[in-house]
Amino acid sequence: MTIADSIALILLLAGCAFYLAGTIGLLRFPDVYCRLHALAKADNTGLCLICVGLAILSADWQVAAILALVWLVGLLAATVSAHLIARHAHSAGRVPARSGPSRR
Amino acid sequence: MDSATLYVLAAAVLFGIGVHGLIVSAHLMRKLFAINIMGSSIFILLVATATPISGQADPIPQALVLTGIVIAVSATAFGLALMVRMSQETGKATLAVEDEPENDD
Amino acid sequence: MIGLALDLLIIVSLIGLAIQSINAASLFRGILHFVVLGLAMSLAWARLDAPDLAMAEAAIGAGVTGALMMIAYRRLIEIQPDQESSLRPPPSRLAVPIALAAGALVGVIGLAAIQAEPMPALAGTAVLENLGSTGLGNPITGVLLLFRGFDTLLEITVLLAALLSAQAVTRQVDLDQSLTTQDPDTPLVGALLAIVVPLTVLVSVHLLKAGGQETGGAFQAGAVLAACGVLLVLTGRLGASRQYSPLVNTGLLVGLLSFILIGLAPLLWGQPLLALPGLWAIYWIESAMMISIALTLVLLFAGAGSLKRRDHG
Repeated sequence: MTIADSIALILLLAGCAFYLAGTIGLLRFPDVYCRLHALAKADNTGLCLICVGLAILSADWQVAAILALVWLVGLLAATVSAHLIARHAHSAGRVPARSGPSRR
Repeated sequence: MDSATLYVLAAAVLFGIGVHGLIVSAHLMRKLFAINIMGSSIFILLVATATPISGQADPIPQALVLTGIVIAVSATAFGLALMVRMSQETGKATLAVEDEPENDD
Repeated sequence: MIGLALDLLIIVSLIGLAIQSINAASLFRGILHFVVLGLAMSLAWARLDAPDLAMAEAAIGAGVTGALMMIAYRRLIEIQPDQESSLRPPPSRLAVPIALAAGALVGVIGLAAIQAEPMPALAGTAVLENLGSTGLGNPITGVLLLFRGFDTLLEITVLLAALLSAQAVTRQVDLDQSLTTQDPDTPLVGALLAIVVPLTVLVSVHLLKAGGQETGGAFQAGAVLAACGVLLVLTGRLGASRQYSPLVNTGLLVGLLSFILIGLAPLLWGQPLLALPGLWAIYWIESAMMISIALTLVLLFAGAGSLKRRDHG
């Protein structure tokens, strides 16, 4: 295993960890705003790490450029959809939960 | 056990789930899910049982399944339109089970 | 070993998602599970060495079908907000045995097909042997357009028939209000469209062009283009309309008509039906089919016979 491979492996694993954190946040956070926060931030960071890892593995500028495009489009879609969901929740009168994680 | 066998077994289980769902679910949209699941399981079966030709995948089953996916979405779209219209006419999206005569027993 | 574990993981999620989509507590959750099931199917295709199918499943099976189901759900809850209540049908004692028997039948057929003496795949071999002479690199595009072109012609016909039938049963009332978001004037939406729409068109044209040589083709491209149209409908840029539009109707028919006309033409100089005269014919038909497929899917989503532009100042 070369150094590039190990770096890629570490990046991929870190990306998976971010995805895991985002998913746990989605499942555990109390209200829609916190969940969006978890999804939009953690998952996009995870996607970035995985794209960089794959780009290193492929060792090809063309593939790397396409992966960068994938990340940018994902970022764009996540931004706008998170904004729309939050806006809709706000106009529907959802108030953010103030007291810590949900007590179930 | 190789992966083709695994996918065949998965297709069998999915088909069973689809048939069961088609029979027991009341809502028409769930029946559409069930029909789609049955279709997908047959698609998996077709592709998983294809014999590779000198290391390359057999293109014929894959082309057939590609056709099948498009036909499935056409049929689903028509089914959904029928369901919405039925709901507009009767107020609910279920088949009128209770009106049928009991010929089950 | 890792491959087998991955297969098992995909299969377990396929089965779990299938059960959930049928049995989920609320219908909306069922739809979500069904969409995710489509994505898991796409992974399964990738594992089964079928990248074309993976792409088609992700775009058509998960994307377009999901959008169609969501919009149908929205129309349903406008009629009857409570779609979940009192839907317990009389339990059927035969359901489980029938399901078991059906599943067993499929399993036995599949296992028999695997364990039987491996038959030479004659048609597939013929395709792969003759592919070189056609100038195509993707055998699946070759099968769809050249070797089994009749199937594809009928497939386009079925898609059109589904659209016409859906329109025939759709009640054409208050078309304009039912689709758009409440506040389409969020500044971000315009920015999103300004980037995504050109990009989607670029991706679909790329898929179409790539389809000749590698993964891609008219169906995947059409589905991606349809996703763009669905986005435009959802953000209120395109609206359902009842007015006859020559442009829309031409777009709907151009795929089928191109295929029929170019397919009939060889009869004039004594060639068999659908013997397409060269690569240009394949790319022409695929482009026309892409437009028709995309437009048909968008019209199915909008539940209308035509579309019109709507302005947002």
